[in-house]
Amino acid sequence: MGETATAGRRVRLGWFLRAVAPVVLLLVLLGVVVALPLFAGVQSGEPLPDVTISHVSLPNDETLALHVTNNGPEPVTISQVLVEEAYWTFAVGDGGPGAATLAPLESATVRIPYHWTPGWDLHVSLVLANGATFGHDIVAPQPQPGVTTDVLQTLALVGILVGVIPVALGMLWFPVMRDLPQYYLHGVLALAAGVLTFLAVDAGVEAFAEAGAIPGAFEGTLLVVTAILGSVLLIQAVAAHLRDGEALSPLGLAYMVALGIGLHNLAEGLAIGGAFALGRASLGAFLVIGFMVHNLTEGPAVVAPLAEGRRPSLWHFGALGLLAGAPVVLGGWLGSLAQSPTLGALFLAVGVGAILQVNWELASLIRREGRLASPATLSGFLVGLLVMYATDLLVAL
Amino acid sequence: MPGDRSQAADLTRTLGRRLADAVEADAAVSRRAVLGGLGLAGAGALGLAGQGRASNDHGSGADEHGNFGAVGAYESTDFDPHAFLREFNTGFETTESVPNQRVYERDDGDGGTERVREFDFVASLRPIEIAPGVSFPAWTYNGQVPGPTLRATEGDVIRVNFANGQRHAHTIHPHLKNLNPAMDGIPQNGPGLVDQGDAFTYEWKAQPAGLHFYHCHSLPLKEHIHRGLYGAMIVDPDPDRVGRKPREYVNYQGPIDAAYRADLVERAELRNHEYRADELDEQVMVMNGFDTNFDGDNEVYAVNTRAFAYGVAETDGYGSWSAGETIRPIRIDRAERQRLYLLNVIEFDPINSLHTHSQFFDYYDHGTTLYPTHKTVDTVMQCQAQRGILELDYGDHDPGLYMFHAHQSEFAELGWMSFFEVT
Repeated sequence: MGETATAGRRVRLGWFLRAVAPVVLLLVLLGVVVALPLFAGVQSGEPLPDVTISHVSLPNDETLALHVTNNGPEPVTISQVLVEEAYWTFAVGDGGPGAATLAPLESATVRIPYHWTPGWDLHVSLVLANGATFGHDIVAPQPQPGVTTDVLQTLALVGILVGVIPVALGMLWFPVMRDLPQYYLHGVLALAAGVLTFLAVDAGVEAFAEAGAIPGAFEGTLLVVTAILGSVLLIQAVAAHLRDGEALSPLGLAYMVALGIGLHNLAEGLAIGGAFALGRASLGAFLVIGFMVHNLTEGPAVVAPLAEGRRPSLWHFGALGLLAGAPVVLGGWLGSLAQSPTLGALFLAVGVGAILQVNWELASLIRREGRLASPATLSGFLVGLLVMYATDLLVAL
Repeated sequence: MPGDRSQAADLTRTLGRRLADAVEADAAVSRRAVLGGLGLAGAGALGLAGQGRASNDHGSGADEHGNFGAVGAYESTDFDPHAFLREFNTGFETTESVPNQRVYERDDGDGGTERVREFDFVASLRPIEIAPGVSFPAWTYNGQVPGPTLRATEGDVIRVNFANGQRHAHTIHPHLKNLNPAMDGIPQNGPGLVDQGDAFTYEWKAQPAGLHFYHCHSLPLKEHIHRGLYGAMIVDPDPDRVGRKPREYVNYQGPIDAAYRADLVERAELRNHEYRADELDEQVMVMNGFDTNFDGDNEVYAVNTRAFAYGVAETDGYGSWSAGETIRPIRIDRAERQRLYLLNVIEFDPINSLHTHSQFFDYYDHGTTLYPTHKTVDTVMQCQAQRGILELDYGDHDPGLYMFHAHQSEFAELGWMSFFEVT
């Protein structure tokens, strides 16, 4: 008995050694390449400098803060800064005024003391030591209120109005859905899938657009693709592990839908919070009403899987509503704290992945119980898309 | 608005407490002076006070509050605009920029003799720091941009032994009244382009009197000029010749009496480095610029290559300033008159200009006349290759800083902004 265990451990150790051997060999070879100047005589010119100004924050009307990343393989030195074609003083990071060198993949904030005028565009340029310039347009700058308790309260209120309340109202359709025959209920589920598909496309387009602003070194497009596929696979893996071969229970599916919508609403909240912090949101009635009407359709999408069979206890409805709607509040707070395009694109992409996975589940539910491509489901799906398109016109952020 | 004002007042009070605490220990700072500045500071922070800046924060001063201008000082000694300003190569003595130069008489082939001013020029590639920390790969004559300033007297022969050590083919084209097409320094005439490793000796008659221009005429012309192959050539009027042919030096058709002639001769002597030119403080200013990112627009403008080199190194924006090692105003003596040899070589922009603050001057377009072509002006405009002589007198002015700059604000803010410090 003891012998077998020892043998087993020995086998496992050997297996482990064999598993890590290629990595160890690679590290050794890398050491050799670094230690021996193998390529000392090889010169094929210099790589081009590549610097991105991903975004600008305006903490007050005396300051421009440029968020800068060196994407290139070589260090770059920011020697001078131009604002509106004029040399201007600046400081990089916590350092004093003057030139600074950024290592490859290093990011820094370039602070320029400049008395700007709200609404008047500015063009800023970084001048590197070799004379190359990297510019950025600051379109219609507005004072950014920054993060105060007032802002957080306002964003919480907005989040509840546009996230939690419409989803809760939409869930009130639940009794109506229970009285529907299964054939039409499938139409409602397809409508939910249509709503979700619209949201996925919307967020996907946004994510790829946002990816364009991500510093080149982080490969924005690939980051978005990886995040979408990653979240599909991860959620699918978790779901598969939970149900352990069984079909997902209606309640489980409802939670999955709520999670997908919640992730989407998180990204929506990020956009609201970001726009608010950037001084870009007119949080007037138009925006709030638009979002409320738009998000109303998310309510029936969440509860549609529960329409058949035993009604779960009421607290589940509360939890589902919060899971789907409350992330708007959280996203709003996050978005007001950090206006990073990388973060924004990442959240959007994760939301897309979650929705795709939910659609997969909805489709298999319908297929299990009936026909996936029935007139009811197809027209339900179409109605979902159309309703979302029409209500989306009301949302102008 | 009243809300903003009361917010400003609150902020002012807060700042006041904080700053008063901060300066408590510092006997050099008057507490009252600090508090006095705060009204503006509070309003400024809320955007109520126009350009008012909250610059009273202890120990920070101008650094934190948006001074215009380039940051830092020049790090390299590849070119010194302060030395270039007053350096003239006459052939009589060698200089660092033209180590090989000489003056000699030779047979003019016509029974007489002529005086030759001979200079050795080499074209080379050299990085030059054109703004603090920003390097430009310049094509140079004798390792500098602008090229060395040559100076001769009217009627002399200017002889340039040109060797090309740079990988592109170059020439030297003179803006003189040159009577031999083989010496025009263009690809289509004489030796044409001078390739790397080749050499050619140009000979030009120094005429007419005035301020002139030399530059490379290889194609593409835009690139060969803006990369740095240009310089100034001064031909001083010969007082004897002026006495004999006064009409060639004035734009005037009336009778010329003895007094008029004598005045012209005296003016010629004051222009000529072999007579009395040293009675004035003579300076060469070449207005140039550099396109560092190949977008067909200059990122740096300057007189004599280095942006802001004749500026102040530091200022708090409230009237106090200091000079630096590499960035400092041009010091001038108010007891002396100034003569500026101003030449525009700017590429990509149609014109350039010079404007003097609190000062008017006489301007001699091309320097070819002995009476001003523009009398009492404070701004002159030049197209590329245009040049002229400015005569200024700060005798009436109080000592202190007097600005001069291109009155294209864009050029000024990109480096062509300078000061005289009148002492």
